[in-house]
Amino acid sequence: MKKKLLLLVLAVSAFSFASKAQDTIKTTGDAPLVVYGSVDTYWKYDFSKHANIGTYFASDNNSVSLGMIDLGLKKKVGKASFVGELAFGPRGQYQSTPNGDGNALNANNTFNIQNLYVSFDVTDKFNLTAGYMATFVGYEVISPTGNFNYSTSYLFGAGPFQNAGFKATYAFSDKVSLMAGIFNDQWNSYAAVTQSYTDAGGTVHQNGEVSTFGAQLMVAPVKGWTAYINFMSGKYSGTIEDLTTTYQITDAFKLGLNAANKTGAGAADYVGAALYPQLAVSKVVTLGIRGESFKLKSTPTAASTTYSAFTLTANIKSGPLTFIPEIRFDHNKDMPFTDSSFSPTKTASQFVLAAVYGF
Amino acid sequence: MRLSYIYSMKKVLIAIVLLITARAASAQKELLPFDEHNKYIYYQVVDQPTLTADTMYNRALYFLKTAYPKLKVKTDKTNESISGAGKFVVTSTMLLKHEDGEISFTYTIESKEHKYRFWLTDFTFTPYKTDRYGKSVPADGIEIPLEKGTTKLTKKQVDNYLDQAGTYSKQFGDRLKQYMVRLSVTPVKETKTKVISTKNW
Repeated sequence: MKKKLLLLVLAVSAFSFASKAQDTIKTTGDAPLVVYGSVDTYWKYDFSKHANIGTYFASDNNSVSLGMIDLGLKKKVGKASFVGELAFGPRGQYQSTPNGDGNALNANNTFNIQNLYVSFDVTDKFNLTAGYMATFVGYEVISPTGNFNYSTSYLFGAGPFQNAGFKATYAFSDKVSLMAGIFNDQWNSYAAVTQSYTDAGGTVHQNGEVSTFGAQLMVAPVKGWTAYINFMSGKYSGTIEDLTTTYQITDAFKLGLNAANKTGAGAADYVGAALYPQLAVSKVVTLGIRGESFKLKSTPTAASTTYSAFTLTANIKSGPLTFIPEIRFDHNKDMPFTDSSFSPTKTASQFVLAAVYGF
Repeated sequence: MRLSYIYSMKKVLIAIVLLITARAASAQKELLPFDEHNKYIYYQVVDQPTLTADTMYNRALYFLKTAYPKLKVKTDKTNESISGAGKFVVTSTMLLKHEDGEISFTYTIESKEHKYRFWLTDFTFTPYKTDRYGKSVPADGIEIPLEKGTTKLTKKQVDNYLDQAGTYSKQFGDRLKQYMVRLSVTPVKETKTKVISTKNW
């Protein structure tokens, strides 16, 4: 046994020095297969003693609950690359991805896919991408590592999560790029599924269209300031105009803004804006506020209603781990919330403590 | 018997730990001393007794164009100095290497009769974040000079990035030297693969 261990030491030694001989940084060639993702968990306490605020994630009251484990693989060889990202858990499954492909027979057959696309760099400036991708619209994202706040905005919940399609992106410079693409007829669906028909045997068949146009203009007017002007319009999914921008004004202070307007077919129409000021108060602690005003537009059967929400969040970092304590206050004069005795009320408030580990 | 076995095991394990520690300590960050402006610098002066300033200037340009095509290149009117900027990706030291961010830098190459010098400096770290598509992209507006790294990063991170900056700089210098000394810097053509014919024997 001892001899074996000594041999192991020699082997480690040989490996160590062999590795050192090749201890260089690759400046050319292909990147290795990269594994990335996150894990998140949270505890929420709603001051009405039951879940009350209907925005996404952090849904369970007074429970230590799961977010998701998000597992992504990516690789680039030459000009070609792929990304495949799977998610397991409430946040990554029924709260953010569709079941099956829209076919009734696959209703309970979740694919767990957040991103699945292939990409090709035609030139250094021109890229083509096709597959199922996170939407290009909006400020907040599904992955908890991509958001500062743990609970989400009303704007996030009302807009698309993913779009399947084909897009072309041209970078005019580091400061300006334009994406244009054609996407499936519906948001958040693995396949185009707008139309369906039933055959003589009673089986329902789904048909769809790749008929939604999307475009994104990125501009970076000054160092640290990036703005995305987004537009998406389809016969079945309606039209969204969206502005998403962040400006790192100083080393410590960052300001974000999201404003959007949705009209037409598909999901409910809305208009709203959210402001995201954030201040790093130390190497490990950043404080941030999200102030949001969000209006669900009137429909033939319902009047319009407006929410305002104020969220104070801290991000406390320890390496790849981030603790997120957060307190949130929502208001709507139409009293969509309920108090501790389940009577309608104009206000709701909650506290969340979340832990997010990114890798 | 059992006690002596455990004792031997302990020695072996200590040896493994020491070996790994020694490897970690063999860092490249010592290659980056401070200059007169208190900035990390990789600085080399190389004698080339057989080469003229013009030859070295042209070879340096060819080196940048061929070996580092993504670097920005700026030349001066006197054909003595080339400067520019670039960046490279740095990774964490975890078991699964994670792209932590990128380090931007500036460089200068100057040639005189029979010698040239070059330096890399202004090493500035920008962290990466994973965007909604799973891509690693620079976090907008965050630039941390490595000299002030410990105000925003852990010491372990700064040491790791300095190590990688030292390795990159050394590699840059070694490759530049190769291009300088070669009489012909055109890539060597691959020899044609020998084909065996089984028809004639």
